[in-house]
Amino acid sequence: MVSTRQVGAHARRSKGALRSFWPQYLAISPFFVLFLVFMLFPVLFSVVLAFQKWDGLGEMEFVGLRNFEFLLKDSLFWLSLKNTFLIWFMSTVPTLFLALVIANMLNSSVRFTGFYRIAYFVPNVTSVVAVAIFFGSVFATNAGLINVILGWLGASPVQWLVNEWTIKLVIATLICWQWTGYNAIIYLAGLQAIPTELYEAAKIDGAGPVQTFFRITIPQLRPIILFTVVISTINGMQTFTEPQVLFSSNVANSANSGGPGSAGLTAILYFYREAFNNNDYGYGAAIAWAVFLVILLFTAINWRLVSRRARAS
Amino acid sequence: MELSRRHLLLSFAAAAIGGTAACGSGGTTTGGTGGGGAKELTLWYWGGGLSDKVVADAVKQFAGKTALKPSVIGGDFKQKLVTTMNGRKFVPDITGIKGENIASMLEEADRFIDLNTLGADKLASQYVDWKWKQGSTKDGKLIGFPIDIGPTGMFYREDIFKKGGLPTDPAKVSEEMSTWDDLFAAGQKLIKAVPEAYIVSSAEGVWDVVVGQGSKRFIDESNKFIGDQAHIRSAWDVVMKALQLGVVAPKFDGQDTNAALTNGKYATQIGAAWVALDIKNGAQGTEGKWRVAHNPVGPANIGGSFLALTQQCRDPKLAFEIVTWLLGPENAARGFADAALFPASPATYTSSAMTEGDPFFGGQKTIEILGEAAKKVPVQYEAPADAAVGQPFKDEIVNVWTKGKNPDTAWNDAVATAKQIAERQGVS
Repeated sequence: MVSTRQVGAHARRSKGALRSFWPQYLAISPFFVLFLVFMLFPVLFSVVLAFQKWDGLGEMEFVGLRNFEFLLKDSLFWLSLKNTFLIWFMSTVPTLFLALVIANMLNSSVRFTGFYRIAYFVPNVTSVVAVAIFFGSVFATNAGLINVILGWLGASPVQWLVNEWTIKLVIATLICWQWTGYNAIIYLAGLQAIPTELYEAAKIDGAGPVQTFFRITIPQLRPIILFTVVISTINGMQTFTEPQVLFSSNVANSANSGGPGSAGLTAILYFYREAFNNNDYGYGAAIAWAVFLVILLFTAINWRLVSRRARAS
Repeated sequence: MELSRRHLLLSFAAAAIGGTAACGSGGTTTGGTGGGGAKELTLWYWGGGLSDKVVADAVKQFAGKTALKPSVIGGDFKQKLVTTMNGRKFVPDITGIKGENIASMLEEADRFIDLNTLGADKLASQYVDWKWKQGSTKDGKLIGFPIDIGPTGMFYREDIFKKGGLPTDPAKVSEEMSTWDDLFAAGQKLIKAVPEAYIVSSAEGVWDVVVGQGSKRFIDESNKFIGDQAHIRSAWDVVMKALQLGVVAPKFDGQDTNAALTNGKYATQIGAAWVALDIKNGAQGTEGKWRVAHNPVGPANIGGSFLALTQQCRDPKLAFEIVTWLLGPENAARGFADAALFPASPATYTSSAMTEGDPFFGGQKTIEILGEAAKKVPVQYEAPADAAVGQPFKDEIVNVWTKGKNPDTAWNDAVATAKQIAERQGVS
C-alpha cells in the first residue's frame, strides 16, 4: 500500500510518479489505448471529414463550410431531427413514468423481489436487433399479432408500419419496452437510499401514501430523476437500430429510408445512410456533428429544467 | 481448468497471438499445399455471392499452384472492403463487388487491375454486352468481371389469373400484357373478378423496372442531372397511372409480403430473376401455381455482382485464371443450380442445369423467358451518385402510394430534393 504522504510527494513531480506508479498506469492503460484508437481518433477524424467531400476511397477535397450550408437547406435533415425529437418524447415520458411506478411497486413488494428485478432488467440486455425484428412481426399489417387481436375485437386492421404516427409509436413502444426496466432498477436504488425516518415522520404527521409519494419520495429522488432524464436524452437522440432494423426489408428497394414518408428516419439513421449508403462521408460527418450540438443543447435545457424545479421545491 | 487471473491473461495473450497470426497469413506465410508457386491468394465474397461448392472446388483445383483462401465476409461488405483498401494492408487479392457499388468503384479504377490487360477482352463476346459495360470504365478498362445478373420478368399466379379470366399461358400473358396500359387494364379486370387480387405488388417495384428499361437514368455521362427530363417523367407517369387505377396492392413489408404472396393478394411479382427464390422461400404452399412471363415493354436489370482484382493482388495472372474458372460456363451453371446466381453468359442458358423444368413453376422452363430477357436488357449509364439522386423519387412514390399525396406536388418535391442531392454529390 502506498501511503497518502508518498502520493502527495510524487504528485508534485509527475516524472517520478510515472516511474514509481508504472504498474498502475499499465493496468489502466488498456482502456485508454482502446479509447485513443477507437474513440478519440475517429472523433477527431470526423471533425476533419466534416469539411471535406470524400467518397470513402478516393482523394479528399476540402470544401470548407459547404457541407453545413447544405445541411441548413436540407429538408430531410430537419425532418430527421423532428422525427428524433418526437420519438424521444413519445418514448421517454412513458418510460420514466412507468419506471417510477414499477420501482415503487418493487420497493414495497415482499415476495420474489429478486425475480422481478431480473425480469424487468432482461429487456435491456436483449439484443435490440432481435427485439426490432420481433416488433416488426408483431406490428405487421396482415400477419401481425396486434392486428389479429384487433380483428377478434371487431376492429379493422391498422397499417402500423405505414402510417406516419404509428411508425413513431411502434419505435417509441420498442424503446419504452427496452428501457423501462433499466430505469426502474435505477429508481429502486434511489428509493432504497431514502432514510426510513422520513417516512416514519410523515406517517406520524398523518400523511397518506399519495402525499408521502409527492412530498417525500419525488423530492428525495430528484438527483436520480435528473440522471435518468439526461441519459434518456443522450440515448434517445441517437436512436438508430430500431428504425434501421424495422425497415430493413426495404433495403433492396430504398436503403435505410426509415419507412414510408421517412417517418422513422432519425438523425443518426440519416447520417448513416448519407455516409455509408450514399458514400458521402463528409456530409455524414457534418450531420453527426450537428446532431452532437443538438444533443448538447438539449441536454443542457433538460438539466436546467429538472434541476431548477428541484431548487424551487 | 480453474479460472484464475493468470489463466485468463494467458488465454487473452494466446487469442491475441492467434489473431495476429491469422491476419499475418496475408503476408509471407506459405500454405502447406503450395506445390508450384508457393504463394497464397485471398478471395472475399459475401454469403450467397458465389456458390460455396464451386469455391471449395476452386481451392482443390488450384491447390497445386497456390493456396486459395476464400473468406465469406459478413455485415456491410462494401464498407469492410473500402476500409481494408484504405488501410492498404491485408487487402484481398480477389474480391466481390455488389452491383449497387460497381459505379462508385469504377471511379477508383486505379485501385483495381484492368482485367483486359490479362486477356479478359477475348472473353467479352461470351457475356451479355450491357453487363460487360457495367463493369467497365468510360475509357474501356474492365474492373468487374460478371458473376451474375438480374434480368426482370413477371412472376404471376396462374390460378388467380384463371379465376380473373385472364390468359394463363406464359406466351399469351407476355403477348397480351406487353404494354403497361394492357397490364393495368388486365389488373382492373382481375380485381373486379377476384377481390383483393392486385396485378401490381409494389409501386416502387414498377418504378425500378420502368426506369431500368430506358437507356438513361438520373445522371448522364457528362455528370449532368437529367432526372427532371422526359424519360424519368414518363416513367413516373406509368407508376402514377397504376396507383390511380387502383391496381396496386397496399404497401406490405417483411412478414406481410410473405402473407400477401401466400394468400394471393399479389397476383404478380415483377422483378429480377432472383425474385423467384424470394417467392419460393416466402410463399409456402403455392408450389406449382406460379409461372413467369415477360414483363411489359421490355426487360430491365436489377442487381447482379462482379469479381475484381485489387491493385495489391500478388499474382494477377493466376488470380484471373481463378476468376475465369469460377465464372466459366460450366461453373456458372452450377452457381445457378446451387446459389440461384443467374449467369451472364448466354451460352450457359442451354446447359442442362438451366433448361430443366421447375416444379415450383408448374414445370415451366423459366430460362426460356428469363434467358431471352437477359439478352435484351438495354445498356444504361449509371453514375456513382445515381442511387442517392434517385432516392427522392422513390420516397415520393411511397408518399403517393401510402398517403395519397398529390402526384404533381410529389413530383415537384422529388425533383427539388433530387437536385439538392445532386448538387451535394458534385453533379452539375
